[in-house]
This record gives sequence, C-alpha cells and structure tokens, in this order.
Amino acid sequence: MKAMFVVVALLLALPVPAQAGNSNRQHADGASAKTAEGPYKELAWDELVPKDWDPSRRFRKLDLGSMKDGDERAMKMLEIMKEEWDSAPINASLDGRKVKIPGFVVPIEEQGRAVTEFLLVPYFGACIHVPPPPANQIIHVVSAKPIKNLKVMDTVWVLGELRAARYSSQTPMGLGAAGYRINSVQVTAYKEPAMVTITPLR
Amino acid sequence: MPYLPVLAVKSAWNRRFTLSLVVVSIALSTVLLLGVDRARTSARESFSQTVSGTDLIVGARTGAIQLLLYSVFHLGDATNNVGWKSFQVIASHPDVAWAIPISLGDSHRGFPVLGTTPDYFEHFRYGAKQALAFAQGHRFEGIFEAVVGANVALKLGYRIGDRIILSHGTSGVSLVSHADKPFTIVGILAETGTPVDRTVHVGLTAIEAIHLDWNGGAPIPGVSIPEKYVTKFDLTPKTITAAFIGLKSRIAVFRMQRYVNEFKAEPLMAALPGVALDQLWEVMSVAEQSLLFTSAMVVAASLAGLVAVLLAGLGERRRELAILRSVGAGPWEILLLILGESVLVTLIACIAGLIALDIVTWLASPWIQSHYGLTLSTEPVSQNELVLLGAILCAAAIASAIPALKAYRQTLVDGLTPRI
Repeated sequence: MKAMFVVVALLLALPVPAQAGNSNRQHADGASAKTAEGPYKELAWDELVPKDWDPSRRFRKLDLGSMKDGDERAMKMLEIMKEEWDSAPINASLDGRKVKIPGFVVPIEEQGRAVTEFLLVPYFGACIHVPPPPANQIIHVVSAKPIKNLKVMDTVWVLGELRAARYSSQTPMGLGAAGYRINSVQVTAYKEPAMVTITPLR
Repeated sequence: MPYLPVLAVKSAWNRRFTLSLVVVSIALSTVLLLGVDRARTSARESFSQTVSGTDLIVGARTGAIQLLLYSVFHLGDATNNVGWKSFQVIASHPDVAWAIPISLGDSHRGFPVLGTTPDYFEHFRYGAKQALAFAQGHRFEGIFEAVVGANVALKLGYRIGDRIILSHGTSGVSLVSHADKPFTIVGILAETGTPVDRTVHVGLTAIEAIHLDWNGGAPIPGVSIPEKYVTKFDLTPKTITAAFIGLKSRIAVFRMQRYVNEFKAEPLMAALPGVALDQLWEVMSVAEQSLLFTSAMVVAASLAGLVAVLLAGLGERRRELAILRSVGAGPWEILLLILGESVLVTLIACIAGLIALDIVTWLASPWIQSHYGLTLSTEPVSQNELVLLGAILCAAAIASAIPALKAYRQTLVDGLTPRI
C-alpha cells in the first residue's frame, strides 16, 4: 500500500512546474512586452517540457494492483521515473523564440557587485531543499550587461531569445542532456499579479 | 542679489575659529560614513572577484559559507578532508569538465600554502573569467618546486630560484617546520587582487612528500627521510581539503550538486560559490547595516553641533543682522544668509572629508591588501558616495532651517531696536 501511495503521490507531484505555469497563463494570452527588439511572448514553464513526453510510458503495462506491499518492482519503477525526470528532454521547437519568462534567480557568475550569469528556475528553493529541477526546467541566462542588486532567489522577468542548446555529455543514465539558454536583453523585477508586490530587498 | 554669498562668506570668515571646528567635526563624521560604505563596497567587490568560472566547490560536509571561506579565501580551517578516491570518482563524472584538487594546512611565514595540481593554473579563474598569469617563471614541475603569489614575492622579496621552507600549521609563527625539505621558487604570479596573491602554491605530491616522516601532526622522532629518497615512496595524495569543479554545462550544476551531496562513499558537500557568497552577504548585512547606522548617527551628531554653533552665533550676530536689515536686507535674505552659511560650511567639510578619506585609502590600501587580501577601490569618489554626500548636505540644510528661521523671526521682531 505504502509503495503505491508513493507512486501516486509522485504522479501527482510531477506537474509541479506546470502549476507554477498555470498561474501565469491567465496573463499569457494578451501579455507580450514591446521593446525595441520586437515583441517577446510570455512563456509558461510547462511549455519547456515536450508535449509528447511521458515519464510513466514505460510502465503502462505494469499493474500496481497486482503487486504486494513493498514490492521491489514498484520501487524500481519509482527510481527509473525519477531518473527519467532528471534527464528530461527539451522542447527543441522553442529554439529561437523570443520569450518573456518569470522565475527565481540562482547567480553563478558575478562581476563586482553585479550578476552577469544566472540560472533561472521555476520554483522557490529549487536549489537547496528538494531534488533539483530537471534540465528542461532550468534556463541559463547570460546578460551582456551586468545586473546590479540581484541576489539568490530574487524573482525576475527575463526577456530574450530562447536557445535550446545541446552539449555532448553522457549522464549516468546514458542519455544525452540538453538545456535552455537565454542571452537576456532585459531583466526586471517580477511583480505578483494579485497586488502583492515582491521586489528585491535591496 | 550677488552680494549675499559674498556677505555670507565674509561673515563666516570673521567667525572662522568656531566654524573651522565645526568643519573638522563634520569632516570626520563624513570620513567615517564614507569609509564604512567604501569598506563595505570594496569587500563585496573584492570577494566576488575572487572566484569565477567555478561551478561547484566540493569539500567535507560543513556549511556552504564555511566551505567557501576556507577553500577560496583561506579563512578558518577545514572541518574534514576529502578522500582522494572520492575526488577521482567525482572528477571523472561525465558532467565534469575539469576538477582542481586543493590541499591546505601548511604555511610559509604566515602565507597559506596551497597544494594543488598544474591544472590549477590552467582552469582557475578570477574577476571576469581571467586566467592566472605568470609575472616570471613557470608552473611547478618537480616535487620541491613552488609558485608564489605576487604579494608573497613582493613582501618577502623573493625571486626565481630562492629557496623557502614551509612550516606546519597555518600560524605566522612557525614552531615546527619542514626545514629538511626546502622548496625552490620557480614561478611568480602576476597580481590578481585576490587571495591568490598571498598564497604559496606547491604540488599535491610535495605536500605528501613533506609529511612522509610525520605522524599525528609532529615529526616522528629519529626518522628523517632525505629529500632524494622521497620518490621511493608512494606520493599519491591520500586526502585533499577541497576541490573546485567546472562543468561542461552550467545547467547540470544542481544535478551535480545533488550527486556530490548524496555521495555514498563518504559524507561530502558541494556549494555553488555565487549562492554561498550571497548567503554570506545576508549574514554580514546585519553588521553592515548597524555600522552604517552608527556612522549616520555620528553625522547627525556633528550636524547637531553645527546647528548649536549657528544658534549660539545668532546672539552675537544680532547687531550684524540688524545693520543688514537697516541697509535694506529683507527677512528672507537673512534666512538665506544663515542657510547659505551652514550649507557652505557642510560643503567644505564634505570635500575635506572626501579628500582625507582618499588619502587614507591611498595610504592604507597596500597594507590592507597584503594583510587581508582585500582590494580597496581607488577611484576618488563613487556614485554611491556622491549620494551619501548629497544626503549630508540636505540634512545640513534642513537642520540649519532652525537657526535660519529663528534669525528670520528675530529680525522681524526686534529689527533695529535691540533691547540690551
């Protein structure tokens, strides 16, 4: 029973980033920012996952009901599903699209007191408390101009052209990994739609 | 009314002794406020300059901030070591582009000794992804060869070919030394403005070699392995202090971090340098804020002194102001006269304070650089400092509104007929 509960919980938990995306989607329809370089269309985090991708596809035939409690096969399936989620593929059709996407900042390169490179992740605490987001839920943002007063877990809008980049690496699961990258043209503080303002503390 | 500034200056000149004391007091408080701000900004800039291009720092399980402090800044001590085998497993992970092992714990006349591999000079980056450059010489190749940072060479007057002795432990005073195995300096690094300048770099095998005849932190009595025989022993490092990791893709950083944190063979941790630095600032910001607050209070106190002097001056300037009124000055002009005087005094004090601070910075920066590895910004005035100076001037103008208004009212009330 316990194992099954875990599996069900996991299945429910899988679209976590999708939820984050949903809250923004109501604005996604008409919202497109006009800048000097043309319109940037708002992108939801779940769009970064290819539509046909299904981590449980390999286990369709597996009947959880026929297993006994603490079944090793159930645990094995959980492991494999986690691994699949870890090495989730990217949505190559997004390559080259001009996007506007909100997220949390994890700085990786600083110059003086300004951030030049950071990782954008969809949910708070992504880097510290829970298993990390998979590769297709992390965007490597490179800003040509150093951004001042940006620190860990600030919420921002990033505008720029999305690049679906492949790099030659074998993960322990034997799958090629890939990731997204944006050369940002604009990074602004994210404001919660529901009148609650979240601005950087400094 | 161009005569007004002239009058204000001339009148102030007549009371130059009292006012100059006020100028000194405001100038000193300006030095304090700007100095605190400058130290704060420089520390941040200098710290974030120190590590660049490194995706993860791997070490024994501790706090991210502590790992960063001891591995990058050589501040504090490591809690535990990392097994060489674990390092090799991590370094050969498919996501890893390069890995630099580092071994700390020895020193040379107060400067930390860093055991590493030649890869260090290849991959280590500082500032805006700048690579280490050699001012003279080359990387270490033999076992007993050392590469020193710019500051070490400058302070101790070292040149290529000099022989140095490492001491056990990280204190400046050496009680136990590795005198039997001296090192030859083969390279001097160009200045970086980071802790690298204060470091003596040797090979990991050298660290192993100088500790061959040591046991439990002391030389084994009666046992001494001569320099020429060290190669007879296995010089593969057993442990290292920490490792810097560069990844093929920065996207993989969280996955790699989890891989290290969940490493089965021994408890290890990986920290993202950028995140750890931000956490450090979070901790430091309380101290920073209170220091800034204290110095702002000192500025307020010296401005209160200015107001007190102006108020006291009103009594003795009663006749002066009355004469001005008699020759046609309006009450508004009297108000402007007092205000102008206080702004002038504060402006002079601010400029004097800024110059004093620049001189202090200029004089102290080599010393601070060599003692703390902290580079003070050398620009005469930063944007932030201009804002602070503007704030001091505004505060002075607002505070001196009290004596100015009093003078205004006074000249209206008793004008030309002061009751003595």
